[in-house]
Amino acid sequence: MSGKDRIEIFPSRMAQTIMKARLKGAQTGRNLLKKKSDALTLRFRQILKKIIETKMLMGEVMREAAFSLAEAKFTAGDFSTTVIQNVNKAQVKIRAKKDNVAGVTLPIFEHYHEGTDSYELTGLARGGEQLAKLKRNYAKAVELLVELASLQTSFVTLDEAIKITNRRVNAIEHELDEREREEFYRLKKIQEKKKILKEKTERELEKRKIAGEVTEPANLLAEEKDEDLLFE
Amino acid sequence: MLGSAELSFNVDHGYLEGLVRGCKAGLLTQQDYLNLVQCETLEDLKVHLQTTDYGNFLADQTNPLTVSKIDMEMRKKLCGEFEYFRNHSLEPLSTFFTYMTCGYMIDNVVLLLSGALQKKSVRDLLGRCHPLGRFSEMEAVNIAETPSDLFHAVLVETPLAPFFQDCMSENTLDELNIEVLRNKLYKSYLEAFHNFCKDHGDVTAEVMCPILEFEADRRAFIITLNSFGTELSRDAREALYPTCGRLGPEGLRLLAQAEDFEQMKRVADHYEVYKPLLEAVGDGSAGKSLEDVFYEQEVKMNVLAFSRQFHCGVFYAYTKLREQEMRNVVWIAECISQRHRTKINSYIPIL
Repeated sequence: MSGKDRIEIFPSRMAQTIMKARLKGAQTGRNLLKKKSDALTLRFRQILKKIIETKMLMGEVMREAAFSLAEAKFTAGDFSTTVIQNVNKAQVKIRAKKDNVAGVTLPIFEHYHEGTDSYELTGLARGGEQLAKLKRNYAKAVELLVELASLQTSFVTLDEAIKITNRRVNAIEHELDEREREEFYRLKKIQEKKKILKEKTERELEKRKIAGEVTEPANLLAEEKDEDLLFE
Repeated sequence: MLGSAELSFNVDHGYLEGLVRGCKAGLLTQQDYLNLVQCETLEDLKVHLQTTDYGNFLADQTNPLTVSKIDMEMRKKLCGEFEYFRNHSLEPLSTFFTYMTCGYMIDNVVLLLSGALQKKSVRDLLGRCHPLGRFSEMEAVNIAETPSDLFHAVLVETPLAPFFQDCMSENTLDELNIEVLRNKLYKSYLEAFHNFCKDHGDVTAEVMCPILEFEADRRAFIITLNSFGTELSRDAREALYPTCGRLGPEGLRLLAQAEDFEQMKRVADHYEVYKPLLEAVGDGSAGKSLEDVFYEQEVKMNVLAFSRQFHCGVFYAYTKLREQEMRNVVWIAECISQRHRTKINSYIPIL
Protein backbone atom coordinates (compact mmCIF):
# COMPACT_ATOMS: atom_id res chain seq x y z
CA MET A 1 0.00 0.00 0.00
CA SER A 2 1.47 3.32 -0.93
CA GLY A 3 1.62 4.86 2.46
CA LYS A 4 3.06 8.16 1.27
CA ASP A 5 0.68 10.28 -0.65
CA ARG A 6 -2.76 9.13 0.25
CA ILE A 7 -5.38 11.51 -0.89
CA GLU A 8 -8.05 11.99 1.70
CA ILE A 9 -11.33 11.63 -0.13
CA PHE A 10 -14.68 11.19 1.30
CA PRO A 11 -15.65 7.69 0.23
CA SER A 12 -18.64 8.30 -1.92
CA ARG A 13 -19.77 7.22 -5.35
CA MET A 14 -18.91 10.56 -6.94
CA ALA A 15 -15.44 10.39 -5.58
CA GLN A 16 -15.13 7.09 -7.33
CA THR A 17 -16.11 8.57 -10.70
CA ILE A 18 -13.67 11.39 -10.28
CA MET A 19 -10.98 8.88 -9.49
CA LYS A 20 -11.83 6.96 -12.63
CA ALA A 21 -11.31 10.05 -14.80
CA ARG A 22 -8.01 10.81 -13.20
CA LEU A 23 -6.97 7.25 -13.75
CA LYS A 24 -7.68 7.54 -17.46
CA GLY A 25 -5.58 10.68 -17.75
CA ALA A 26 -2.73 9.13 -15.93
CA GLN A 27 -2.86 6.07 -18.13
CA THR A 28 -2.45 8.17 -21.29
CA GLY A 29 0.46 9.92 -19.71
CA ARG A 30 1.99 6.64 -18.83
CA ASN A 31 1.68 5.37 -22.39
CA LEU A 32 3.46 8.42 -23.72
CA LEU A 33 6.25 7.90 -21.27
CA LYS A 34 6.50 4.29 -22.34
CA LYS A 35 6.88 5.37 -25.96
CA LYS A 36 9.65 7.74 -24.99
CA SER A 37 11.37 4.96 -23.13
CA ASP A 38 11.13 2.68 -26.16
CA ALA A 39 12.63 5.30 -28.48
CA LEU A 40 15.49 5.87 -26.09
CA THR A 41 16.11 2.15 -25.74
CA LEU A 42 16.23 1.74 -29.50
CA ARG A 43 18.84 4.48 -29.83
CA PHE A 44 20.70 2.96 -26.93
CA ARG A 45 21.01 -0.40 -28.66
CA GLN A 46 22.22 1.26 -31.87
CA ILE A 47 24.89 3.14 -29.99
CA LEU A 48 25.96 -0.01 -28.19
CA LYS A 49 26.47 -1.83 -31.48
CA LYS A 50 28.46 1.06 -32.86
CA ILE A 51 30.62 1.18 -29.75
CA ILE A 52 31.52 -2.49 -30.07
CA GLU A 53 32.45 -2.04 -33.75
CA THR A 54 34.51 1.05 -33.07
CA LYS A 55 36.36 -0.56 -30.18
CA MET A 56 37.36 -3.54 -32.32
CA LEU A 57 38.55 -1.19 -35.07
CA MET A 58 40.39 0.81 -32.43
CA GLY A 59 42.35 -2.24 -31.36
CA GLU A 60 43.51 -2.83 -34.92
CA VAL A 61 44.40 0.79 -35.58
CA MET A 62 46.36 1.16 -32.35
CA ARG A 63 48.30 -1.99 -33.14
CA GLU A 64 49.19 -0.66 -36.60
CA ALA A 65 50.18 2.68 -35.15
CA ALA A 66 52.41 1.15 -32.46
CA PHE A 67 54.11 -0.98 -35.10
CA SER A 68 54.70 1.98 -37.39
CA LEU A 69 56.29 3.72 -34.39
CA ALA A 70 58.72 0.81 -34.09
CA GLU A 71 59.44 1.04 -37.83
CA ALA A 72 60.11 4.75 -37.63
CA LYS A 73 62.41 4.30 -34.65
CA PHE A 74 64.34 1.65 -36.61
CA THR A 75 65.06 4.02 -39.47
CA ALA A 76 65.15 7.41 -37.88
CA GLY A 77 66.69 6.70 -34.52
CA ASP A 78 65.26 8.14 -31.37
CA PHE A 79 63.21 11.20 -32.27
CA SER A 80 61.09 11.27 -29.14
CA THR A 81 62.95 14.18 -27.57
CA THR A 82 62.66 16.23 -30.76
CA VAL A 83 58.94 15.64 -30.86
CA ILE A 84 58.40 16.51 -27.21
CA GLN A 85 60.51 19.64 -27.51
CA ASN A 86 58.59 21.05 -30.43
CA VAL A 87 55.16 20.74 -28.91
CA ASN A 88 53.28 24.02 -28.79
CA LYS A 89 49.68 24.31 -29.89
CA ALA A 90 47.31 21.48 -30.52
CA GLN A 91 46.74 20.77 -34.16
CA VAL A 92 43.65 18.61 -33.84
CA LYS A 93 40.90 20.16 -31.77
CA ILE A 94 37.42 19.10 -30.75
CA ARG A 95 34.09 20.92 -30.92
CA ALA A 96 31.14 19.76 -28.84
CA LYS A 97 27.73 19.80 -30.51
CA LYS A 98 24.33 18.78 -29.20
CA ASP A 99 22.02 16.18 -30.63
CA ASN A 100 18.42 15.64 -29.53
CA VAL A 101 16.81 12.22 -29.21
CA ALA A 102 13.25 12.07 -27.87
CA GLY A 103 13.85 15.06 -25.73
CA VAL A 104 17.24 13.98 -24.39
CA THR A 105 20.23 16.13 -25.39
CA LEU A 106 23.30 14.10 -26.25
CA PRO A 107 26.77 15.60 -26.71
CA ILE A 108 28.62 14.85 -29.95
CA PHE A 109 32.34 15.59 -30.43
CA GLU A 110 33.62 16.69 -33.77
CA HIS A 111 37.29 17.11 -34.56
CA TYR A 112 38.86 19.75 -36.80
CA HIS A 113 42.38 20.63 -37.84
CA GLU A 114 43.94 23.94 -37.12
CA GLY A 115 47.31 25.32 -37.93
CA THR A 116 50.17 23.84 -39.90
CA ASP A 117 52.13 20.71 -39.20
CA SER A 118 55.03 21.83 -37.03
CA TYR A 119 56.72 18.49 -37.54
CA GLU A 120 56.95 18.74 -41.30
CA LEU A 121 60.71 18.78 -41.39
CA THR A 122 61.36 16.25 -38.64
CA GLY A 123 63.28 13.32 -39.98
CA LEU A 124 64.55 15.32 -42.91
CA ALA A 125 67.87 13.57 -42.88
CA ARG A 126 66.61 10.14 -42.09
CA GLY A 127 63.35 8.36 -41.58
CA GLY A 128 61.10 10.96 -43.19
CA GLU A 129 58.96 8.43 -45.03
CA GLN A 130 58.39 6.30 -41.98
CA LEU A 131 57.61 9.36 -39.89
CA ALA A 132 55.00 10.48 -42.40
CA LYS A 133 53.36 7.06 -42.24
CA LEU A 134 53.52 7.18 -38.45
CA LYS A 135 51.82 10.57 -38.38
CA ARG A 136 49.05 9.30 -40.62
CA ASN A 137 48.44 6.21 -38.49
CA TYR A 138 48.26 8.10 -35.26
CA ALA A 139 46.00 10.76 -36.80
CA LYS A 140 43.61 7.96 -37.73
CA ALA A 141 43.83 6.63 -34.19
CA VAL A 142 43.00 10.06 -32.76
CA GLU A 143 39.96 10.43 -35.00
CA LEU A 144 38.67 7.05 -33.91
CA LEU A 145 39.25 7.97 -30.28
CA VAL A 146 37.19 11.14 -30.67
CA GLU A 147 34.34 9.17 -32.22
CA LEU A 148 34.53 6.62 -29.44
CA ALA A 149 34.41 9.38 -26.84
CA SER A 150 31.21 10.80 -28.38
CA LEU A 151 29.60 7.38 -28.45
CA GLN A 152 30.48 6.60 -24.88
CA THR A 153 29.20 9.87 -23.45
CA SER A 154 25.95 9.39 -25.37
CA PHE A 155 25.77 5.89 -23.98
CA VAL A 156 26.08 7.03 -20.40
CA THR A 157 23.62 9.91 -20.80
CA LEU A 158 21.06 7.71 -22.51
CA ASP A 159 21.43 5.10 -19.84
CA GLU A 160 20.58 7.64 -17.15
CA ALA A 161 17.65 9.02 -19.13
CA ILE A 162 16.21 5.58 -19.74
CA LYS A 163 16.48 4.63 -16.09
CA ILE A 164 14.67 7.79 -15.03
CA THR A 165 11.92 7.38 -17.58
CA ASN A 166 11.32 3.77 -16.70
CA ARG A 167 11.23 4.60 -13.04
CA ARG A 168 8.57 7.21 -13.71
CA VAL A 169 6.53 4.80 -15.81
CA ASN A 170 6.61 2.15 -13.14
CA ALA A 171 5.88 4.61 -10.41
CA ILE A 172 2.81 5.94 -12.13
CA GLU A 173 1.48 2.50 -12.84
CA HIS A 174 2.04 1.50 -9.32
CA GLU A 175 0.46 4.64 -7.89
CA LEU A 176 -2.65 4.55 -9.98
CA ASP A 177 -3.34 0.92 -9.44
CA GLU A 178 -2.72 1.28 -5.81
CA ARG A 179 -4.92 4.29 -5.41
CA GLU A 180 -7.72 2.75 -7.37
CA ARG A 181 -7.64 -0.37 -5.37
CA GLU A 182 -7.31 1.50 -2.15
CA GLU A 183 -10.32 3.65 -2.78
CA PHE A 184 -12.49 0.75 -3.77
CA TYR A 185 -11.30 -1.12 -0.79
CA ARG A 186 -12.10 1.73 1.55
CA LEU A 187 -15.47 2.23 -0.06
CA LYS A 188 -16.35 -1.38 0.32
CA LYS A 189 -15.11 -1.60 3.84
CA ILE A 190 -17.14 1.36 4.92
CA GLN A 191 -20.23 0.05 3.27
CA GLU A 192 -19.75 -3.22 5.04
CA LYS A 193 -19.32 -1.49 8.33
CA LYS A 194 -22.49 0.50 7.89
CA LYS A 195 -24.39 -2.64 7.11
CA ILE A 196 -22.99 -4.38 10.13
CA LEU A 197 -23.84 -1.43 12.32
CA LYS A 198 -27.37 -1.37 11.05
CA GLU A 199 -27.85 -5.03 11.63
CA LYS A 200 -26.44 -4.75 15.06
CA THR A 201 -28.77 -1.96 16.10
CA GLU A 202 -31.76 -3.80 14.73
CA ARG A 203 -30.91 -6.89 16.64
CA GLU A 204 -30.54 -4.99 19.82
CA LEU A 205 -33.86 -3.40 19.35
CA GLU A 206 -35.42 -6.79 18.80
CA LYS A 207 -33.74 -8.09 21.87
CA ARG A 208 -35.02 -5.32 24.03
CA LYS A 209 -38.45 -5.54 22.68
CA ILE A 210 -38.53 -9.15 23.52
CA ALA A 211 -37.07 -8.46 26.90
CA GLY A 212 -39.98 -6.19 27.47
CA GLU A 213 -38.10 -3.27 28.53
CA VAL A 214 -39.30 -0.07 27.26
CA THR A 215 -36.54 0.95 24.91
CA GLU A 216 -38.67 3.28 23.03
CA PRO A 217 -38.90 6.66 24.50
CA ALA A 218 -42.00 7.51 26.22
CA ASN A 219 -44.63 8.19 23.68
CA LEU A 220 -47.11 10.48 25.17
CA LEU A 221 -49.46 9.97 22.36
CA ALA A 222 -49.24 6.27 22.39
CA GLU A 223 -49.52 5.60 26.03
CA GLU A 224 -53.01 5.08 27.38
CA LYS A 225 -52.47 4.91 30.97
CA ASP A 226 -50.09 6.55 33.27
CA GLU A 227 -49.44 4.58 36.36
CA ASP A 228 -48.52 7.50 38.38
CA LEU A 229 -51.89 9.03 38.02
CA LEU A 230 -53.96 7.86 40.99
CA PHE A 231 -57.28 9.05 39.91
CA GLU A 232 -58.56 8.34 36.54
CA MET B 1 104.66 8.44 -47.62
CA LEU B 2 103.78 4.95 -48.60
CA GLY B 3 104.38 2.32 -46.03
CA SER B 4 104.59 4.78 -43.18
CA ALA B 5 101.33 3.54 -41.83
CA GLU B 6 102.64 0.00 -41.31
CA LEU B 7 105.69 1.38 -39.62
CA SER B 8 104.25 3.90 -37.25
CA PHE B 9 100.64 3.08 -36.63
CA ASN B 10 101.08 0.24 -34.21
CA VAL B 11 103.37 2.25 -31.99
CA ASP B 12 100.60 4.47 -30.80
CA HIS B 13 97.43 2.70 -31.75
CA GLY B 14 98.22 -0.96 -32.12
CA TYR B 15 96.74 -2.03 -28.81
CA LEU B 16 93.47 -0.26 -29.49
CA GLU B 17 93.23 -1.62 -33.00
CA GLY B 18 93.67 -5.11 -31.66
CA LEU B 19 91.02 -4.45 -29.07
CA VAL B 20 88.51 -3.12 -31.54
CA ARG B 21 89.06 -6.06 -33.85
CA GLY B 22 88.34 -8.35 -30.93
CA CYS B 23 85.15 -6.47 -30.21
CA LYS B 24 84.18 -6.66 -33.83
CA ALA B 25 84.46 -10.41 -33.66
CA GLY B 26 81.76 -10.30 -31.03
CA LEU B 27 79.14 -8.75 -33.28
CA LEU B 28 76.01 -10.82 -33.72
CA THR B 29 76.22 -13.21 -36.64
CA GLN B 30 73.52 -14.39 -38.98
CA GLN B 31 73.06 -17.49 -36.85
CA ASP B 32 72.48 -15.32 -33.78
CA TYR B 33 69.88 -13.30 -35.64
CA LEU B 34 68.12 -16.46 -36.74
CA ASN B 35 67.93 -17.56 -33.11
CA LEU B 36 66.63 -14.20 -31.98
CA VAL B 37 63.96 -14.10 -34.64
CA GLN B 38 62.54 -17.37 -33.37
CA CYS B 39 62.05 -16.16 -29.81
CA GLU B 40 58.54 -15.97 -28.53
CA THR B 41 59.00 -13.54 -25.65
CA LEU B 42 61.50 -10.96 -24.52
CA GLU B 43 62.71 -13.34 -21.84
CA ASP B 44 63.76 -15.81 -24.54
CA LEU B 45 65.56 -12.96 -26.27
CA LYS B 46 67.45 -12.22 -23.08
CA VAL B 47 68.48 -15.86 -22.72
CA HIS B 48 69.76 -15.95 -26.30
CA LEU B 49 71.69 -12.74 -25.86
CA GLN B 50 73.43 -14.24 -22.85
CA THR B 51 75.24 -16.69 -25.10
CA THR B 52 76.66 -13.87 -27.22
CA ASP B 53 79.18 -11.21 -26.45
CA TYR B 54 76.50 -9.32 -24.58
CA GLY B 55 76.58 -11.78 -21.74
CA ASN B 56 74.61 -10.90 -18.69
CA PHE B 57 74.06 -7.27 -19.52
CA LEU B 58 70.42 -7.59 -18.66
CA ALA B 59 71.03 -9.41 -15.42
CA ASP B 60 70.33 -6.40 -13.24
CA GLN B 61 67.08 -5.56 -14.85
CA THR B 62 63.94 -6.26 -12.87
CA ASN B 63 60.77 -7.59 -14.39
CA PRO B 64 59.02 -6.85 -16.59
CA LEU B 65 61.56 -6.65 -19.36
CA THR B 66 60.73 -3.94 -21.89
CA VAL B 67 62.23 -2.99 -25.21
CA SER B 68 63.38 0.37 -23.91
CA LYS B 69 65.35 -1.32 -21.12
CA ILE B 70 67.12 -3.52 -23.65
CA ASP B 71 67.89 -0.46 -25.75
CA MET B 72 69.26 1.44 -22.78
CA GLU B 73 71.52 -1.37 -21.65
CA MET B 74 72.94 -1.93 -25.13
CA ARG B 75 73.66 1.75 -25.48
CA LYS B 76 75.40 1.78 -22.11
CA LYS B 77 77.61 -1.08 -23.21
CA LEU B 78 78.55 0.65 -26.46
CA CYS B 79 79.31 3.90 -24.66
CA GLY B 80 81.47 2.08 -22.17
CA GLU B 81 83.55 0.55 -24.96
CA PHE B 82 83.77 3.83 -26.83
CA GLU B 83 84.90 5.75 -23.78
CA TYR B 84 87.52 3.13 -23.10
CA PHE B 85 88.93 3.47 -26.61
CA ARG B 86 88.83 7.21 -26.42
CA ASN B 87 90.52 7.48 -23.07
CA HIS B 88 93.39 5.30 -24.16
CA SER B 89 93.96 7.00 -27.48
CA LEU B 90 96.74 9.29 -28.56
CA GLU B 91 96.90 11.85 -31.33
CA PRO B 92 95.80 11.81 -34.06
CA LEU B 93 93.39 9.09 -33.05
CA SER B 94 91.95 11.19 -30.24
CA THR B 95 91.08 13.99 -32.66
CA PHE B 96 89.47 11.37 -34.83
CA PHE B 97 87.38 10.27 -31.88
CA THR B 98 86.43 13.86 -31.17
CA TYR B 99 85.25 14.20 -34.74
CA MET B 100 83.18 11.08 -34.32
CA THR B 101 81.44 12.46 -31.27
CA CYS B 102 80.67 15.77 -32.99
CA GLY B 103 77.76 14.21 -34.77
CA TYR B 104 76.08 13.30 -31.48
CA MET B 105 77.06 16.59 -29.96
CA ILE B 106 75.20 18.42 -32.70
CA ASP B 107 72.04 16.54 -31.80
CA ASN B 108 72.49 17.31 -28.11
CA VAL B 109 73.18 20.99 -28.68
CA VAL B 110 70.16 21.36 -30.93
CA LEU B 111 68.06 19.68 -28.28
CA LEU B 112 69.32 22.00 -25.54
CA LEU B 113 68.93 25.08 -27.71
CA SER B 114 65.37 24.23 -28.62
CA GLY B 115 64.64 23.60 -24.95
CA ALA B 116 66.07 26.98 -24.01
CA LEU B 117 64.07 28.66 -26.75
CA GLN B 118 60.91 27.13 -25.40
CA LYS B 119 61.85 28.29 -21.91
CA LYS B 120 61.86 24.77 -20.66
CA SER B 121 64.12 23.53 -17.91
CA VAL B 122 67.44 22.54 -19.38
CA ARG B 123 68.16 20.19 -16.53
CA ASP B 124 65.59 17.61 -17.62
CA LEU B 125 66.96 17.61 -21.12
CA LEU B 126 70.40 16.63 -19.93
CA GLY B 127 69.12 13.21 -19.09
CA ARG B 128 67.88 12.78 -22.63
CA CYS B 129 71.05 13.76 -24.39
CA HIS B 130 72.96 11.13 -26.29
CA PRO B 131 75.76 9.91 -24.03
CA LEU B 132 78.33 9.76 -26.83
CA GLY B 133 77.80 13.44 -27.44
CA ARG B 134 78.57 14.67 -23.98
CA PHE B 135 80.81 17.64 -23.67
CA SER B 136 82.52 18.64 -20.50
CA GLU B 137 80.51 21.70 -19.61
CA MET B 138 77.12 20.25 -20.27
CA GLU B 139 76.05 20.54 -16.66
CA ALA B 140 77.08 24.16 -16.67
CA VAL B 141 74.57 24.68 -19.40
CA ASN B 142 71.89 24.84 -16.69
CA ILE B 143 73.06 28.24 -15.71
CA ALA B 144 72.50 29.60 -19.17
CA GLU B 145 69.16 31.30 -18.88
CA THR B 146 68.74 32.73 -22.33
CA PRO B 147 69.45 31.17 -25.68
CA SER B 148 72.34 33.54 -26.28
CA ASP B 149 74.09 32.46 -23.07
CA LEU B 150 73.61 28.89 -24.11
CA PHE B 151 75.00 29.72 -27.50
CA HIS B 152 78.13 31.23 -26.00
CA ALA B 153 78.60 28.28 -23.68
CA VAL B 154 78.32 25.93 -26.62
CA LEU B 155 80.75 27.91 -28.73
CA VAL B 156 83.32 27.97 -25.98
CA GLU B 157 83.04 24.46 -24.70
CA THR B 158 82.55 22.34 -27.74
CA PRO B 159 84.45 21.84 -30.95
CA LEU B 160 81.31 22.81 -32.79
CA ALA B 161 82.22 26.48 -33.07
CA PRO B 162 83.47 26.40 -36.65
CA PHE B 163 80.33 24.64 -37.79
CA PHE B 164 78.18 27.37 -36.37
CA GLN B 165 80.13 30.04 -38.18
CA ASP B 166 79.17 28.67 -41.51
CA CYS B 167 75.48 28.69 -40.98
CA MET B 168 74.29 31.48 -38.83
CA SER B 169 74.77 34.15 -36.30
CA GLU B 170 73.27 34.46 -32.91
CA ASN B 171 70.48 36.69 -34.08
CA THR B 172 68.97 34.23 -36.42
CA LEU B 173 68.69 31.64 -33.68
CA ASP B 174 65.03 32.23 -33.12
CA GLU B 175 63.73 32.30 -36.62
CA LEU B 176 65.67 29.39 -37.95
CA ASN B 177 63.77 26.18 -37.93
CA ILE B 178 65.47 23.70 -35.65
CA GLU B 179 65.63 20.94 -38.23
CA VAL B 180 67.20 23.21 -40.84
CA LEU B 181 69.77 24.29 -38.25
CA ARG B 182 70.55 20.70 -37.35
CA ASN B 183 71.09 19.74 -40.98
CA LYS B 184 73.24 22.77 -41.70
CA LEU B 185 75.47 22.00 -38.74
CA TYR B 186 75.75 18.40 -39.84
CA LYS B 187 76.75 19.47 -43.35
CA SER B 188 79.62 21.63 -42.02
CA TYR B 189 80.64 18.83 -39.71
CA LEU B 190 80.79 16.22 -42.47
CA GLU B 191 82.86 18.48 -44.67
CA ALA B 192 85.28 19.23 -41.85
CA PHE B 193 85.59 15.54 -40.99
CA HIS B 194 86.23 14.70 -44.62
CA ASN B 195 88.99 17.31 -44.81
CA PHE B 196 90.59 15.99 -41.67
CA CYS B 197 90.70 12.46 -43.02
CA LYS B 198 92.05 13.63 -46.36
CA ASP B 199 94.81 15.63 -44.68
CA HIS B 200 95.72 12.72 -42.51
CA GLY B 201 96.49 10.77 -45.64
CA ASP B 202 97.54 7.16 -45.69
CA VAL B 203 95.22 4.24 -45.30
CA THR B 204 92.86 6.26 -43.15
CA ALA B 205 92.11 8.56 -46.02
CA GLU B 206 91.72 5.64 -48.39
CA VAL B 207 89.20 3.99 -46.13
CA MET B 208 87.35 6.89 -44.51
CA CYS B 209 86.97 9.24 -47.45
CA PRO B 210 84.75 6.91 -49.50
CA ILE B 211 82.66 6.18 -46.42
CA LEU B 212 82.19 9.88 -45.72
CA GLU B 213 81.51 10.66 -49.35
CA PHE B 214 78.82 8.03 -49.36
CA GLU B 215 77.35 9.52 -46.17
CA ALA B 216 77.27 12.97 -47.80
CA ASP B 217 75.54 11.73 -50.94
CA ARG B 218 73.14 9.66 -48.94
CA ARG B 219 72.10 12.71 -46.95
CA ALA B 220 71.60 14.63 -50.17
CA PHE B 221 69.32 11.94 -51.57
CA ILE B 222 67.32 11.48 -48.38
CA ILE B 223 66.86 15.20 -47.79
CA THR B 224 65.63 15.55 -51.35
CA LEU B 225 63.23 12.66 -50.97
CA ASN B 226 61.83 13.90 -47.68
CA SER B 227 61.45 17.48 -48.83
CA PHE B 228 59.00 16.64 -51.60
CA GLY B 229 55.72 18.18 -50.61
CA THR B 230 57.04 20.31 -47.78
CA GLU B 231 57.66 24.01 -47.56
CA LEU B 232 61.39 23.62 -47.98
CA SER B 233 62.35 25.61 -51.07
CA ARG B 234 64.86 24.38 -53.60
CA ASP B 235 67.54 26.85 -52.54
CA ALA B 236 67.08 26.04 -48.90
CA ARG B 237 67.32 22.37 -49.79
CA GLU B 238 70.51 22.88 -51.78
CA ALA B 239 72.08 24.69 -48.85
CA LEU B 240 71.72 21.54 -46.78
CA TYR B 241 73.57 19.21 -49.15
CA PRO B 242 77.08 18.35 -47.97
CA THR B 243 79.44 19.04 -50.84
CA CYS B 244 82.16 16.53 -50.06
CA GLY B 245 80.44 13.66 -51.78
CA ARG B 246 80.80 12.11 -55.21
CA LEU B 247 77.77 13.99 -56.48
CA GLY B 248 79.90 17.09 -56.59
CA PRO B 249 78.49 20.48 -57.55
CA GLU B 250 76.85 19.19 -60.73
CA GLY B 251 74.95 16.35 -59.24
CA LEU B 252 73.83 18.40 -56.28
CA ARG B 253 72.47 21.11 -58.52
CA LEU B 254 70.53 18.56 -60.53
CA LEU B 255 69.26 17.00 -57.34
CA ALA B 256 68.04 20.35 -56.06
CA GLN B 257 65.89 20.67 -59.19
CA ALA B 258 64.28 17.27 -58.75
CA GLU B 259 60.61 17.28 -57.88
CA ASP B 260 59.82 13.62 -57.55
CA PHE B 261 61.38 10.23 -57.16
CA GLU B 262 61.74 9.54 -60.89
CA GLN B 263 63.76 12.70 -61.46
CA MET B 264 65.95 11.77 -58.53
CA LYS B 265 66.54 8.36 -60.06
CA ARG B 266 67.61 9.95 -63.31
CA VAL B 267 70.19 12.03 -61.49
CA ALA B 268 71.52 8.88 -59.83
CA ASP B 269 71.78 7.14 -63.21
CA HIS B 270 74.76 9.33 -64.03
CA TYR B 271 76.74 7.81 -61.20
CA GLU B 272 77.37 4.15 -61.57
CA VAL B 273 77.74 3.67 -57.82
CA TYR B 274 74.27 4.95 -57.04
CA LYS B 275 72.41 3.67 -60.06
CA PRO B 276 71.92 0.11 -58.77
CA LEU B 277 71.03 1.40 -55.33
CA LEU B 278 68.15 3.53 -56.47
CA GLU B 279 66.94 0.79 -58.75
CA ALA B 280 66.77 -1.65 -55.88
CA VAL B 281 64.11 0.44 -54.22
CA GLY B 282 60.83 -1.40 -54.26
CA ASP B 283 57.34 0.06 -54.46
CA GLY B 284 55.25 0.91 -51.48
CA SER B 285 55.56 -1.02 -48.27
CA ALA B 286 56.31 -4.40 -49.81
CA GLY B 287 59.74 -3.61 -51.18
CA LYS B 288 62.72 -1.97 -49.60
CA SER B 289 62.66 1.71 -49.01
CA LEU B 290 65.48 4.01 -50.07
CA GLU B 291 66.65 4.23 -46.48
CA ASP B 292 66.92 0.46 -46.17
CA VAL B 293 68.98 0.29 -49.35
CA PHE B 294 71.33 2.97 -48.07
CA TYR B 295 71.65 1.28 -44.70
CA GLU B 296 72.70 -1.95 -46.39
CA GLN B 297 75.30 -0.13 -48.46
CA GLU B 298 76.66 1.60 -45.38
CA VAL B 299 76.98 -1.71 -43.54
CA LYS B 300 78.81 -3.23 -46.50
CA MET B 301 81.31 -0.40 -46.59
CA ASN B 302 81.84 -0.55 -42.86
CA VAL B 303 82.54 -4.27 -42.91
CA LEU B 304 85.03 -3.75 -45.76
CA ALA B 305 86.91 -1.25 -43.61
CA PHE B 306 88.09 -4.14 -41.47
CA SER B 307 89.83 -5.77 -44.38
CA ARG B 308 92.61 -3.21 -44.18
CA GLN B 309 94.95 -2.62 -41.33
CA PHE B 310 96.67 0.36 -39.73
CA HIS B 311 94.00 2.96 -40.02
CA CYS B 312 91.59 4.82 -37.76
CA GLY B 313 88.59 3.88 -39.81
CA VAL B 314 88.13 0.62 -37.92
CA PHE B 315 86.89 2.54 -34.91
CA TYR B 316 84.36 4.46 -36.93
CA ALA B 317 83.23 1.31 -38.69
CA TYR B 318 82.94 -0.61 -35.45
CA THR B 319 80.80 2.08 -33.78
CA LYS B 320 78.50 2.30 -36.77
CA LEU B 321 78.15 -1.46 -37.00
CA ARG B 322 77.36 -1.70 -33.31
CA GLU B 323 74.69 0.95 -33.68
CA GLN B 324 73.13 -0.92 -36.56
CA GLU B 325 73.19 -4.07 -34.47
CA MET B 326 71.43 -2.22 -31.67
CA ARG B 327 68.77 -1.06 -34.08
CA ASN B 328 68.34 -4.61 -35.37
CA VAL B 329 67.95 -6.12 -31.91
CA VAL B 330 65.50 -3.43 -30.83
CA TRP B 331 63.49 -4.01 -34.01
CA ILE B 332 63.30 -7.74 -33.40
CA ALA B 333 62.40 -7.12 -29.76
CA GLU B 334 59.60 -4.74 -30.76
CA CYS B 335 58.20 -7.22 -33.26
CA ILE B 336 58.21 -9.91 -30.60
CA SER B 337 56.65 -7.79 -27.89
CA GLN B 338 53.96 -6.41 -30.19
CA ARG B 339 53.31 -9.82 -31.71
CA HIS B 340 53.59 -8.37 -35.18
CA ARG B 341 55.92 -10.84 -36.80
CA THR B 342 55.25 -10.19 -40.46
CA LYS B 343 58.19 -7.85 -40.86
CA ILE B 344 60.50 -9.33 -38.29
CA ASN B 345 63.06 -10.23 -40.94
CA SER B 346 63.45 -6.66 -42.11
CA TYR B 347 66.56 -6.08 -40.04
CA ILE B 348 69.79 -5.29 -41.84
CA PRO B 349 72.10 -8.32 -41.76
CA ILE B 350 75.65 -7.44 -40.92
CA LEU B 351 77.92 -10.43 -41.09
